Amino acid sequence: MNVLKAPSAKPLRASPGLLAAAMSVGLGVAFSGAALAKDYPTVTVVDPSPVNWLWITWNTMEEAVRVDYNGHTQPALAESWEWNDNQTLTLDMRDDAVFQNGSPFDPAVFKRSFDEVQKWESPHPPGAWLNFSKQASMETPDDDTVVFNTTTVDGATITKLRGMHVASQKFWNQGGFNTAEGSSEGNW
Amino acid sequence: MVLEPNEEYWDSARTPTVRVVFDNVIPKAAAVKDVGSADGEIDIVTELTPAEAAQVEDSDAASVVASDSKTVLLGVFNQTSGDSKWNDIRLRKAVNYAVDRQGVIDDAMMGYGNLMPATILEGHFGYNDSLEPYAHDPEQAGQLAKDADKTVTIVTDEAHEGVADAVAADLSDAGFDASVKVGEPTGKWDIWLVEHFDWSPEFPAAVVHREYFGDTGGYLKSPGDKRLQGLIDQAMRTVDKDEQEEITMAIEKHIYDHADALLLFAPQKLYAVRDGVDFTPYKSTVLELAETKMDE
Repeated sequence: MNVLKAPSAKPLRASPGLLAAAMSVGLGVAFSGAALAKDYPTVTVVDPSPVNWLWITWNTMEEAVRVDYNGHTQPALAESWEWNDNQTLTLDMRDDAVFQNGSPFDPAVFKRSFDEVQKWESPHPPGAWLNFSKQASMETPDDDTVVFNTTTVDGATITKLRGMHVASQKFWNQGGFNTAEGSSEGNW
Repeated sequence: MVLEPNEEYWDSARTPTVRVVFDNVIPKAAAVKDVGSADGEIDIVTELTPAEAAQVEDSDAASVVASDSKTVLLGVFNQTSGDSKWNDIRLRKAVNYAVDRQGVIDDAMMGYGNLMPATILEGHFGYNDSLEPYAHDPEQAGQLAKDADKTVTIVTDEAHEGVADAVAADLSDAGFDASVKVGEPTGKWDIWLVEHFDWSPEFPAAVVHREYFGDTGGYLKSPGDKRLQGLIDQAMRTVDKDEQEEITMAIEKHIYDHADALLLFAPQKLYAVRDGVDFTPYKSTVLELAETKMDE
């Protein structure tokens, strides 16, 4: 089995067993030596992009919103959203998503993913502009809803949510993206 | 790294049917050769140059998939010093008129590129249909630059060297003394050719505009344009999508009218795809693989 060695400035770091349980979306990660569940056809990809670490992240984690083939905004973990005022966004979350380890997705784990990332100095290698305000907060009034108080008028909120990766409680309980080398998205 | 399908994924249209193996140990040149061989093991190679695309097209086992991606190639003017000659709008416009964009696409990109007036392709959020790409008008370029220092050093990376050579040739035809150097924008340079992609959910003000022209942009090589920054800030200070689009169109017009960069074109993203593999690229340029399939 081949193991990725990214040619980018930001090498991929793997923590077997941790990520395999963390993934929420269509593709999860298995690592060299791990038992593969089923004999799927294999597509082998060579991707010399300097941001291939980010492509892996977007293929294996999920966000509130996504972008379709033609560049249009689409719902993902949030089925819909609405601005109550220019600093309060209400997201109606999916109730049928499960992580690859079988644990359910819910507003609480969405909030946890936000809270964990808010602790970091520099969550996003592409730049600090992707950070939410340090005062921003999320509430989960019921099993379907996240209320996001951005605390400032932030026109880039939906764009930033596209970059806010959601992982399971187990992923965060086991350290999340944190490694001895730092804390930021894709830092594994 | 191996990506395994999550069979319980909520979206049946995007539930993967293949295992994806990322193999970045093999050098790209070997991968391009392998994907074109009937007995090869590689199925998809990304980031092809036009020359590599030609190699794939000549092969028996793979094809080139070209994507009209939301990628932009601009020339950033070196305005890092207060007395930069590029502070003169006439000179910035001159080099914009000097370049035959379609010719550059045809010659240096083998046709793999799309014209656009500023930084947004037609049909995408914020496209300003009142603008046309700068015409190729060497005479007007010469007039606008008649009193200027016409030495132009273009700096770029290896991937864009062919484009830089073609741009330099057009500038020379219009009376400039143009040369190309491959490397970083350090030391003596005038125009930095650099590419960026718009991955955003319809918010180019934060991604492309901010990156090239905003005060937090990685490609900003000037003290910044206060009016342009004001427009970017305006887009950041509203959550109304219609309003954001109007502001984005205004940003495009400002960039165009002030020739804030050498406005080139949108390079297509090129992928080598083995026969029997069904892969459709995203215009965001994000390599999304969930829908990729293998023929039975």
